[in-house]
Amino acid sequence: MKINDRKAQRKLLAVFAHPDDETFICGGALAKYAAEGVDITLVSATRGEMGRRMGNPPYLNRESMGAARESELREACLRLGIRQLHFLDIRDKTVEFINEEKLTERIAGFIRELEPDVVLTFHEKLGGHPDHNAIGKATTAAFRRTGSKGALYFISFGATMARPERFGYSRKDVVRVDVSAYLQAKLAAFRAHRCQTEIDEWVWLPDREALSRFGKHEYFLLGGGKPSSGDSLF
Amino acid sequence: MIPIIKPDAEAKLSEFTGAEAYIHSEATSYVFVRNFKVRVTEAFVAGEGPYRVALRFDGHGWLRMEAITHYEMDEHGRLLLAGYDDSGRMNVALHLGKEPFPE
Repeated sequence: MKINDRKAQRKLLAVFAHPDDETFICGGALAKYAAEGVDITLVSATRGEMGRRMGNPPYLNRESMGAARESELREACLRLGIRQLHFLDIRDKTVEFINEEKLTERIAGFIRELEPDVVLTFHEKLGGHPDHNAIGKATTAAFRRTGSKGALYFISFGATMARPERFGYSRKDVVRVDVSAYLQAKLAAFRAHRCQTEIDEWVWLPDREALSRFGKHEYFLLGGGKPSSGDSLF
Repeated sequence: MIPIIKPDAEAKLSEFTGAEAYIHSEATSYVFVRNFKVRVTEAFVAGEGPYRVALRFDGHGWLRMEAITHYEMDEHGRLLLAGYDDSGRMNVALHLGKEPFPE
């Protein structure tokens, strides 16, 4: 019981750019830690309202997209077990143009309020999209500014961080989380992001075939705070 | 959004001529503009589908887009034109409204 109590107090703050970042990149780990009782808060900088995928066949337009993707993200959060969701109300594709100091301070506000054990965001250079890099940079600055006692990790795509040497990092900088028991939740969250995944036929194959497309591990790069055991973020 | 019916699209576009309109326009991932305010003087729809749409504005300006496939007049009285590919990805969009679009 004591272990459960202690686990129930563990907190994770994820600060990403668009609805679906949480699912596509690290949905397995979020589902795993939620199932273990971690209290997860997701902050999404935008509503992804500038996305190109409008459903297949298309059922959205530019003006209806933001609300639709918010709704899809709320369902994905339910599938993954994310309890709190906040938006920064920044327009998609403009995060890098927002006043950096104000953005950093807003994120620092979340860190001070929540005191998370783990903060997840994008690496500020390896994020793969200008919005990703910008939110990663601001979150990293906020983590340092607040003097958080937790750990900061950068999420990574697929198994790219299985070989961190290519990016100038070593294996000890990487946490490899086994998510194999949580792929069903990850798939459900993929399907919740309907307008973004309808174009990918594999997502809608029978479960067993769709699940076979997922890797068994998700990789996280240590960005600050105490190093972990190598297979867990906590 | 429904496939373009050319005479109807022309009629709906013409409702925006002779007055100020706010424009949202974008082409793939390369560019978007939001809330350009112009005075539309003429509006054109050309082609047999996908369509080309052009606006003449402020007595000296042009906005021309191609690959437009779908449109609708939404519940706010905004005319939304867009071009989708066969997988539902939006290539282009041209929206006209009497009021600014949400930032």
